[in-house]
Amino acid sequence: MGLIARAIERVGIPTVSISIARDLTAAVGAPRAVFVKWPLGHPLGEPHAPLQQRTVIFRALHLLMHADVPGVIDEPGYRWRRESYEEPDWSRLA
Amino acid sequence: MGETITWLQKLSNRIYGIPAVAQWWARRAAQRSASLDVDDDAIPFARLRKPLSTARGVLMTTGGVHLIEQTPFDMETPQGDATYREIPVNATPAQLTITHNYYDHRDADADLNVIFPLAHLQELVGQKVIGSLAPRHYGFMGHIDGELVTTLTQHTAPEVAAKLRADGVDFALLTPA
Repeated sequence: MGLIARAIERVGIPTVSISIARDLTAAVGAPRAVFVKWPLGHPLGEPHAPLQQRTVIFRALHLLMHADVPGVIDEPGYRWRRESYEEPDWSRLA
Repeated sequence: MGETITWLQKLSNRIYGIPAVAQWWARRAAQRSASLDVDDDAIPFARLRKPLSTARGVLMTTGGVHLIEQTPFDMETPQGDATYREIPVNATPAQLTITHNYYDHRDADADLNVIFPLAHLQELVGQKVIGSLAPRHYGFMGHIDGELVTTLTQHTAPEVAAKLRADGVDFALLTPA
């Protein structure tokens, strides 16, 4: 996935990836990534958990806007099934 | 799709579904990828050139998502499948399916937002957080190895990048399997 991100970035379009495999994301050199230490196949979290899913999207869009170092990996440290989530403050992306 | 998964693959997917095991796999894969040398070393880096509220986004996943009527990804070739499927922006979850035997996608089958959050992005456009979405989004099958990595980096990915440019895309959100 990081390789696809690099190809897109190379034509001038910024990317942000969600990563479940931190070392692989770092090795491939994805331009920007939010890492969540969750099971494979669950980049946005649990099914029917919209607040959790939207929180991950918020972190990704925030990183898209504010990252200034190529290859940055944001690590919010969310635990699997042991967090409670609120609706993100989307006005912070305005 | 699901019918073709062996009990061994199911067991493997269960084991790799444990977060710590997934990280162990990532370390191994990272060591292997160092020897692939398919790319130059500098990380390309573009910037968002406009406010998010006027920007056009695209969603891409390597989780094997595609329209039910599209040709499924090839699960027989050991090196994987470096092709992709275009997913129209108005596709509903009921019109989409997942062909990817190398991870446990039962949760993503139950709620596609777990891996392909197009519905959330559409809501964010409605909330005016994001300006708009591209007319087409993309499903890949991320389990790619050997010379197909070169196919991906030299042909498939640049082809999609050109389509994003043609569609006026300002940023891309990528999700893995």
